[in-house]
Parts: sequence; structure tokens; C-alpha cells
Amino acid sequence: MHLNMNKGRKVKGFKVEGLRVRNLLALNPPAINLTNMIELKNIEKYYASKGNKSYVLRNVSATISQGEFVSIMGPSGAGKSTLLNILGMLEDPTYGTYEFSGENVNSLSERKRIELYRNHIGFVFQAYHLIDEMTVYENIEAPLLYKKVPGSERASRIADLLDRFNIVAKKDLFPNQLSGGQQQLVGIARALAAQPTVILADEPTGNLQSVQAEEIMTLFKKLNQEDGITIIQVTHSEKNATYGNRILHIADGVIKEDVAVHH
Amino acid sequence: MFKLNLKIALRNLWRNRGITTINVGGLAIALAAFILVVMYFSYETGFDKNNPNYDNIYVVGRTEPDFTTNYTSPPLAKAIKNSFPEVELAGITKKGFYELALKNGNNALFAKNFMQSDYSAAKILNLKPTGGLEKPNGEIERLSYLSNENMKTLFPDKKDNSPEMVAVGSSNSGIKSKINGSILNDLHSNITFDGISIANELGQGENYGYNNYTTYIQVKPGTDVANLEQKITNLYRSELLKGETDKKTIEEIKSVSTFLDPLANQHLKPKAGSDAPYKILLALSVLGILILVIACINFTNLSIAQATKRAKEVGVKKVMGAYRLQLTTQFLVEIFMQCFAATILGLIVAELVLPAFNNLFQIKLSIWHIDNHLFWQLPLILCMITLIAGIYPAMVLSGFKPALVLKGNFSTSKQSYWLRNGLLVFQFSIAVVFIIGLFIINSQLKYMRSEDLGFSANQVVFIRNIAYFNNPAKFEPLREKILKIPGIKSATVATDVPDGAENGSNGYTVNAVNASIDFVDVDFDYFETLSIKLKEGRFFSSAFKTDTANSAVINESAVAKYGIKNPIGQTIRGCNTDYRIVGVAKDFKAQGFESAVQPTIYAIKNSCGNAKLQIMLKIEENKMADALAALKSQWPEINKLDGEDFRYEFLDELYGKLFKKQEQLQSVFFAAATLTIFIAVLGLFAFAKYITNGRIKEIAVRKILGASDIQIFRLINSSFFLMVLVANVISWPIAYILTKKWLETFAYRIDLPILPFISSALITILLTIITVSIQANKAVKANPVDALKYE
Repeated sequence: MHLNMNKGRKVKGFKVEGLRVRNLLALNPPAINLTNMIELKNIEKYYASKGNKSYVLRNVSATISQGEFVSIMGPSGAGKSTLLNILGMLEDPTYGTYEFSGENVNSLSERKRIELYRNHIGFVFQAYHLIDEMTVYENIEAPLLYKKVPGSERASRIADLLDRFNIVAKKDLFPNQLSGGQQQLVGIARALAAQPTVILADEPTGNLQSVQAEEIMTLFKKLNQEDGITIIQVTHSEKNATYGNRILHIADGVIKEDVAVHH
Repeated sequence: MFKLNLKIALRNLWRNRGITTINVGGLAIALAAFILVVMYFSYETGFDKNNPNYDNIYVVGRTEPDFTTNYTSPPLAKAIKNSFPEVELAGITKKGFYELALKNGNNALFAKNFMQSDYSAAKILNLKPTGGLEKPNGEIERLSYLSNENMKTLFPDKKDNSPEMVAVGSSNSGIKSKINGSILNDLHSNITFDGISIANELGQGENYGYNNYTTYIQVKPGTDVANLEQKITNLYRSELLKGETDKKTIEEIKSVSTFLDPLANQHLKPKAGSDAPYKILLALSVLGILILVIACINFTNLSIAQATKRAKEVGVKKVMGAYRLQLTTQFLVEIFMQCFAATILGLIVAELVLPAFNNLFQIKLSIWHIDNHLFWQLPLILCMITLIAGIYPAMVLSGFKPALVLKGNFSTSKQSYWLRNGLLVFQFSIAVVFIIGLFIINSQLKYMRSEDLGFSANQVVFIRNIAYFNNPAKFEPLREKILKIPGIKSATVATDVPDGAENGSNGYTVNAVNASIDFVDVDFDYFETLSIKLKEGRFFSSAFKTDTANSAVINESAVAKYGIKNPIGQTIRGCNTDYRIVGVAKDFKAQGFESAVQPTIYAIKNSCGNAKLQIMLKIEENKMADALAALKSQWPEINKLDGEDFRYEFLDELYGKLFKKQEQLQSVFFAAATLTIFIAVLGLFAFAKYITNGRIKEIAVRKILGASDIQIFRLINSSFFLMVLVANVISWPIAYILTKKWLETFAYRIDLPILPFISSALITILLTIITVSIQANKAVKANPVDALKYE
């Protein structure tokens, strides 16, 4: 019944309270080479059509270390999303090698890749991509189920996240009963639930109003600084990029600039 | 995890409840049909399976040059038993020839088949009188049993199993007979009876000419049956040859053989009979499977159509670390749930339809009994349809690439376009075949009902009788008394009535041409009573003294068979009698439409003939009720042997039973055509909905560009129109071949009409346009702004 009562009521604005992710991470420390977490060497990606190769990425090499907050920027069609997809192992490069904590991803078995998803990589999407048939609580719970986290720990982790993101009251609502900002918050909570080492975010604020966008970016910054989570985001916005500490400028599939952000 | 998936599944099904209903409902109806077919199949193939020696029992039949038959003579069984050690038991049975009236006070019943069996046959056939099978004493004693139902009719209050005395025939006959007890008459057996009388031996003193018995043998397990068959043929020939000197007869005997027909084949495809029931059963099974396959296809089709909605879920779950197998399982479980619901619903529907089904096929099937095979078949069927309907969508859904589906503008319509169109075409092809089949069956039945039979069964009353009237002088007083009743125009008696039953046949010679033709022994007024037309000469008349001695009427087919130029006055010889042909009757369809009119000879006197028992009266229509009442009241006086047991049937109803099989087929086709169309249209409806939803943006853009509503309707309909057309083109040749084959089973049939082919096309096209347009209407009426603003 209470679902119907809340239907259509969109709550605007939210507040992020004290972060306790660090404690959670301490329970389950990632056994991983922390220095050079991601290493791309001569990554190329092209589509062959009618004998013509149309390049999306060309000769991309980069190293991203644990704890960095990297923004990938560039005009539309520059190859930002493709690069992020390659980093997230959703697409394979046509050529070149990609090492994730010292392991060559190209030669990784399907099962190993899924293990990486379960334990090390969290995704945040522009369109949130919450599962419509699941409540807020269930959406956050889903990755824990795949990771086979025991029930009691699952409950405490979710309670923690709901509490932190101040969405306890929304836990039984369905995504279409939430505002965009709230949905993205749930999206981030879901990404954090599995306690990943990296968060890959594709225009996480692209569908949000500026106030909400700001708050999401503040949250990212906190996660990065206080919990040491590596964040790689694709963004259009110069302003969003300044929340991070490094910017990769891409144009026509090539990294034009790799600059550090000074605060 | 499972619980969460279950929740998602239920929420999903509820959100798309329209399509879920179509999916589950369509499947349920198809399953109901399939359940009925499966039950019918197990019933039809399960005759006599209760017999512990089911696999080792054979009927011994004869193959003569002109025909095959299960009728054999008493000495054969004995000879087989004595000659071959691998034969454990050999016995014979004999059917009751006429209806026997049995009475106990005011309780009466008419036993149509009071069967006789020897002790060995009773053992072979596992006949079980209450209290067990007893061996009769000596050569004379017979143990008679009434079926349990009949016993109940005669002795409603009887509790024990003690012998009873019953009166036989009319109450003034004074004949009493002893009934030793009751016996189970298993309707699920080839051997059914109203009562049975068991003797140690039947047909003592009857030689190899008395082919009135059915011979059963039970062989030892592992017997080489082909070899035994050959040995029995040799034995039979040598027995027939004993003492035979005539060269011609010896030659004839050499062309006679015997065969062993398994008990298992008796019901559906006996060697001496038609295998039509077997074919019908096969057709029905194929039909049931087809309907189920169509429903499964629908299911597949709709599940894939729904796939876009689930694509995001798949993509997200994959990046959260779900194995593909986990997702496949999840979707399979979802489909399993729907199939499960459909199965329960299907069972309910089947239960509701069962009475009508039982009525149509004249059987008594029921779902809820312990030994129903359905209880283990159904879970198997459920798993099967889950796999058929679910494996493809589950593979497609779980195979989505997250990088593609998570970009947002993902559409599956291109990927499985050909497949889904192909499935739709397949469904409609089957529907079209059924529609055409139905139309053609209808036409043939209409033709059979309206076509001139060559005789008239209207207002002809057929009276059951147990007195022999082979001598016309014996029937004459009856005729006189009957004709005194107002309204009765003519009365006659014959060996056979034209109700489709086979006549006797015998060898006759004209101008040295010898052939086996049918014979019907008749009395005066036979042709007049049945309104049979004369071609030349005359029919029998009491004015001619010779008619009761050696006059014969033959039909046109007989004239053709012998190639006689001027038949009147010529001689036809048979049964050591020279008959003079006095008339030629026009052919009439006494055997129905399936077999051609047989060459037949009609004579009053025939010393080789059968018993003339069948009384037929022609009665004026408006005096029918009065005449029948008068007959009933006067019958004890008219025909003492039957007395108060006056029973009659209308010949047209009797003849109408010949159409029963075709009418069954018609009903089955009607049901099948309706079902397949229904399911195909359901599928089309949902498919059109999906396609239209997918094209809402396109439609909006087109509208903004100035397309009229009609143009948009045409646009959406065109691809479906094309598919239905393709379906028609595919099914026409199939329907043509099948219906042509079916029509060829009739000796008298319609020419294959073109109209059904055109009608089926029109019907399916019309249904498609209506279905699709209902869906398209929503898209057309929608405001383009709404459709475009989401971008």
C-alpha cells in the first residue's frame, strides 16, 4: 500500500552524511597490486566496414594507479565511452594490451572477468540503469547476491549504505518512484555495495540538474579521498573534471593531453 | 537469489499482464488439446493391455484370393494346438447372431451379443467371471454369464453370485435358461459382450467349411511367429486337401493362406479390416503436437518480442558479476512458471471439455483416476514445453552484450526479425491447412448428405427380429397382417439392410465368366420398400411363380462386371442353381460413399444364403406415429417369437451412422482450425503490439511529415499482409495433397474445389488486418509530440 502512497512524490535534494566505507573495506582488503592498477599499452579500436577501417581509438597508452580520480574528457564521438568500456572489459580492443593489476585482461577467461566484476569493478551509468522491477533495497542487494555474501552481512552492508546516503525511507520504493538524483544515488550505492577498488562512471551526472550533479561529484570526491576508491569518469563538464586529480583529454581517438588537476 | 529472481519474475509478469495472459492462456488451451490427445492416444493403444499375455496372443485369420478375414472354422484351433508345441493355448469364440431378449419378471434386456467361447479362449482372453473362471463339466455343460451391468438390470437387488434363471424371448415362448453368474465386460478390450457362454468345446462336428468363429492362440514367449505363421498355413492347406480330388479345388486351396495377427493390432489396424482408426489416431496425434508446437512458438515469439524490456536488466546484472548460466536459468525458471500455470489451466480446460470430447468419440475418459498415465506424462510435457518455448528466448536474453544494451538505444527487432517472421508464417501456414481441410470436409459431407443414394431410407422402419423368414410363404401371413395397419405401404424381409454393413459374397458364373459378387436374399417388395430404381426388366412379383424359385435381379455393377450385353433372360449360376435374370436394378449406395457399389445379385431363394431376419417397412410420413403404435400393440400377434419385444429403428438414422466417422473428423478439424487460428491470432496480436510500439517514433515522424492515417495503416499492415500471403502460398500445396489423399478414400466424392483455398486466404488476411489495425490504431491516434518528446 505504501508504494502507492509514495508514487509520484519526488523528493528533491539529498544529503550525504558521514562516510564509513573505510571500515567496511578494512574487513575485506583487496589483494591487489596497488601501484599500477590499470595499464593500457597501444590500445587500438576500429570497425572495419567495406574495407575501410574507421578508428575509434588510436594508440592509447596510459597508466592509472590506485587511488586516482581520473576524468576522461573530449568532444562527442572522440572515443571516451569506448575507452571506458574497454577499461570495464565490456568491449575488447582490436589491438594492444590491457593489464589490470598486473594481469593481462585480453587473455582472461570469462569466469575470471566475472570475478573481477564481482570484486573489483563498480559501474555507474548516465541513465542510472536500475532494474525497474526491483526496489531500492533489492537493487543494492543484487551484486551482493552474485558475490554470495552471507545474509546477515548483506543486511548490515545495505543498511549502512541506505543510512549513509540517507535513503532509508526509500528502500521499498521502485526506481520510477524516485527523482533522477535519488536514482543515481541508488546507482552509486549499488556500485559500492560490492566494495570495489575501481568505480567506472559514464557521464554520471549527464541526466541531472546542476545542484544534484554537484552533490554527486562531491560524493565521488569523498569516496576517492576518504576511502581510497579509484574513480574513472567520462564527462563533458570542465567543472566536474575539477573534482578529480587528473584529466585525460581525448580527441579523434587519441589522447591529446594528460594533465594533473591542482586544487 | 532465487527468491529475488522469483519476485522480479512475478513483478514482470504482472506489469505485462496483457501479454502474460495471452501467453499463458494460449499455451493452456493448446495444452488442454494436447492433454486430450495424449489421453485418447493412451486409451486407443491400450486395448487389452491388462491381459497378462498381451504380447503372446494372436488371432488366426485367413487370406483368400479375394479377401482376408478373421472368421475361421472350429477344427483349425484344435489342429494347431495338437501340431505345434510352441502354442500354449488355442481357442475359439463365436459372436451372438441376433438380439436375445432376456427377462426376469418385468426387468428385460436385449443382449445384442451373447457370445460363445470355449474354455481355452476364455483363458487366453483373460475372461473373468465373478468368483473366477470355472471349467465346464463334460461336453454338454455351458456356463453362462451376464455382464455386471446386465445382471444389475435383470436382478437389481441381487447381492450374492448365485445362479439365476431367466426367460429367453417373448413371455409366451416359455424358454428358460440358467445364468451362472456375472462377468466383467471390459470396454477397454477388443472382446466385448452383453453376455457370454463358456463351453469346453465349441462347434463339435463342424468341419472346415464353418467359418463362423474367431480363433485365438497364445504362444510361448520367444516364439518365431513368422515361422509359426508359415507352419499354420501349411497345416491348414493340408487339412483342407484331405480327401480332395477335384483338381480345380486343389488349385484353389493352394492359394489360401493363414496369418497371425497380434492381439495388440486388433483394435486399430487388424489385418482383416481397415486401418483407418490407426490413421485417424496418428493424424490426431500429429495435430495435437502441432497445436502445442504452435503455442510454444507463440511463447517463444512473444518472449523475444519482450526482450528489449529485459535487456537492461541483463546488462546490469552482467556487470554486477552474474554468470550467463545464472541468467539463462533465471529466464528458464520464469518461463517454467508460466508453463506451469498454463499446465494447471490446461488441465482445468481439459476437464471442462472432456464431456464433449467423450461424447464425440463415444468413449469414457476421465483425468482423475490413479492409474492415469497423465500423472507422469504431464511433468514430462511441462519440462518439454519449457525447454521448447524457453530455451531460445533464455539464450537470446542471457546473451546480450552489456556494452550494447547499456548504451540505451538498444533494439532487438533487427536481430531476430527473420526468425520471428518465420515463426509467424509457420503458424499461419498450419492454420490455413486446417481451414482448407475443414472447408473440404464440409463440402464432402454436404455432398454425401445431398447426393442421390439410389435408394430412399426415409420413412423406412427397420424392425429387429429373431424369426427366420427364408421361406417367402412363411413371411406372407406377416405381411398381410402388417399391411392391414393404415399407413404402411409395403413390407419386406431380407438378409441385409442398406446400412453400410457388408453383404455376404459368393462365386457366380455368367457365360463362363466366374466372379465373386455380393448376394442379398430378399423378399417381395424389397426394391419397392427401399425405392430402388429399375433399369430394365422387372422386380420380383408374386404374379410370377418362378420368382420364389430361381429368378434374380442384378445391379448395374454386376452387369458391368460380367460384361453382359442383354442381361434380361440370361442365366447366372451360383450355389448349384441356375438363376434367370429378370431385372436390372440401378446401382444404389448401400455401403455408403467410401466403397464403390459392389456387383450384387438379389434373389428370393438362395440355399447358400444367410438368415433373412431384417424386416423393413415403408410407412407414410403423416401416419408414422400411429402405425408404429399399432405395430407395437399387435406385434405379439404378428410375430409370436418376438412378442412384446417390438424394437425398431429408422433406416435413415441407421444409414446416417455411416457419416459418423466423417462427422467426427469434421468436429476435430473444426476444433483444430479454430484453435490454431485463435492461437496464431493471439500471437499476431501481441507481435503487432510489439512492432507498433517499436515504431511509435517512426510513425510520429511520418505523421509530422504529412502521412495520412490510411497511409500509416497500410505501412504497418504491409509486412504482416505479406507474411500471411506467404503462409497461404506455402500451405496451399500441402493442403492440396492432404485433402486430395483424404478425398481419395471415398469412391464417391467431390472434385477438389478451389473456393476453400481462396476463402482461407481471405479469412486469414482479413483476420490479420483487423488484428494489426487494432494495434496500429493506438499508434496512429497518438499525438506525435508525446512520442517524440522523450528523446
